[in-house]
Amino acid sequence: MKKLVLFLVVLLMAAPLAVFAGGASEEAAGADDGQYKVALIIENTIDDKGWCQSMHDGILAAQEQLPGKIHYEYSEKMTTVDSESIARQYIADGFDLIIAHGAQYKNMVTDLAAEFPDVSFAFGTSSEIVGDNVFTYMPESEETGYLSGILAGMLTKDNNIGFVGPVDSGDAARYARGFVLGVEAANPDAEINMAFIGSFSDYVKSAELATTQINAGADVLTGASQQAIGALRACAEYDDVLWLGQDLAQLDTPEGQAKCVAASSYNYAAVVVGLIESLDAGVKGGVCIPMNFNNGGFVFDYNPALSSLVTDEMRSAVDEAIAEFTAQAGVLSNWADVQL
Amino acid sequence: MDLIVNILAMTVPFSVALLLASIGEMFNQRSGVFNLGCEGIMAMGAFLGMLIPFSVGQGGHVSQVYNVAGLLAATVCGALLALFFGLIVITFRAPQGIAGIGLQMFGVGTAGTLFRHFVGGTQSIPGIPDTPVPLLSRIPVVGDIFFSHNILVYIAFLLVPVAWYVLFKTSWGLKVRAVGSYPRAADSMGINVNRTRYEALALGGALAGLAGAYLSVCQVKMFSDELIAGRGFIAVALVYFGHWHPVKIMLGALLFSFAQTIQYNVQGLGINLPYEFFVMLPYVVVIVVLAFTSKDQTSSPAALGKPFNREIRT
Repeated sequence: MKKLVLFLVVLLMAAPLAVFAGGASEEAAGADDGQYKVALIIENTIDDKGWCQSMHDGILAAQEQLPGKIHYEYSEKMTTVDSESIARQYIADGFDLIIAHGAQYKNMVTDLAAEFPDVSFAFGTSSEIVGDNVFTYMPESEETGYLSGILAGMLTKDNNIGFVGPVDSGDAARYARGFVLGVEAANPDAEINMAFIGSFSDYVKSAELATTQINAGADVLTGASQQAIGALRACAEYDDVLWLGQDLAQLDTPEGQAKCVAASSYNYAAVVVGLIESLDAGVKGGVCIPMNFNNGGFVFDYNPALSSLVTDEMRSAVDEAIAEFTAQAGVLSNWADVQL
Repeated sequence: MDLIVNILAMTVPFSVALLLASIGEMFNQRSGVFNLGCEGIMAMGAFLGMLIPFSVGQGGHVSQVYNVAGLLAATVCGALLALFFGLIVITFRAPQGIAGIGLQMFGVGTAGTLFRHFVGGTQSIPGIPDTPVPLLSRIPVVGDIFFSHNILVYIAFLLVPVAWYVLFKTSWGLKVRAVGSYPRAADSMGINVNRTRYEALALGGALAGLAGAYLSVCQVKMFSDELIAGRGFIAVALVYFGHWHPVKIMLGALLFSFAQTIQYNVQGLGINLPYEFFVMLPYVVVIVVLAFTSKDQTSSPAALGKPFNREIRT
């Protein structure tokens, strides 16, 4: 009896493997000659409407821009500890470029890059140069934060703005400080209620923080990273609250359609195309690629469903800032001086 | 004044998932079974609770019947998972801690896998809206704090006296306490120890499943496979915090959520301290209170974590 129950338990555990195995095998097509085999390692999922999805979408867009040039596979939910194992598997499978999408993978990438000098690696956000075969990328998110800040400062009726942050580091820190600069430029009287939840993926805390800020009087909110989806969902519970997004995918959600006035997004296609062109030129790494409006690393768009809320004055302020950022990189070089 | 009312008004709904799960875990532990898999059961509850209204409405509005069906499915699923856990730790007498960790990983992993297969990426649902209590919700201050919440908030707090009554005033509650503290004596009195533990586990699992569904259907109204984010483990800690007593557990859940809500509010006041200090505040509060109250373990179930084998005298 005991053995039979044990067998059934093992069978129950293994059943999902049989049910879901089909999807995985479809991904594992072989690469043709002349193609670069590109692997993506991410800590969340390709459809998180945030950090990981933006890179996945960028690689797919790069595939379209460079037909037949990129063979692409990805691994989701890779913790820092697990990532080395899957990276080694990709290396064994002959992958040319391994993108580990997150600064937490730095040590893993640095170690493997030294061990496998013929394989190229990329990780971000970072501006460090950690090896001749390692690319890094650094979104200069103070620019997108600034645009959100301008709109928040002009949209708020109560001069009370909420910011739902994950942790104060990387591109989230830059977005937060750019946001402060944008609000100060558009509406110096507005107060920003800025707080961090200490996690990139705790949607409940994100929603709780947003709810708290709304109850404290915030009528326009924004947030960085994938956890911000929870805050956006919380905003949808209130009639007079608006949201400014940090990923265009947020506009496609029902709550985004209802609440997200505009969103900026990373255009990782430009980064990936740049990486492939570097590989074509024989450069395997040792370069940091900044992402900004100047090099096409960011895109910005309004929500057509809420276009009536955006006045001509708002549009011209945003257009002016984008034009300035596009003409020259590093316009907001003072972002790090902002004290939160 | 507004700040204080805001903090208190948010404390109540934010505490509900912890309250439901920890009351359930209290029944588990009172019967002598330590269920670290609470987190996994909550994850499955959150997934199933959201799946039913999402499948019907594809993210759009649906009849409240489907939301309630989601809550019920989560409750039943929680009970079944707890019975599965019982099979391993009661019938097979496996170490409860290890089996609980296994259940936690199984629940979180299965919920995430099924979610990706049947739903896809992060999705939201309209969920169950707040239901302010007529008249009472209009009372200044008190109305905002106690009577302007989701229906499950009221149910969860009504559950506290119900749990107290069941545990201390019914024969079944006496059986649960007996098998958790003196299983051999209970057995000699004709109480079926294993059956009573299975029953307590099913009840605890049902409440853990409901706690998960509260997050996905009533509070956040969305699901992601990291939605629970350690709240199951906090619920287990709150049982120790509350000395296995429903009222003290409720106070613990409220204290934790109060500290959490304070830190959300205080961060925005411009106090010159690193935000990490505020983020860790709720956990520090729980640890400090545990440290000061841990000497009094008189209400601790004496047989907690010990499998019962009537053929072996321990």
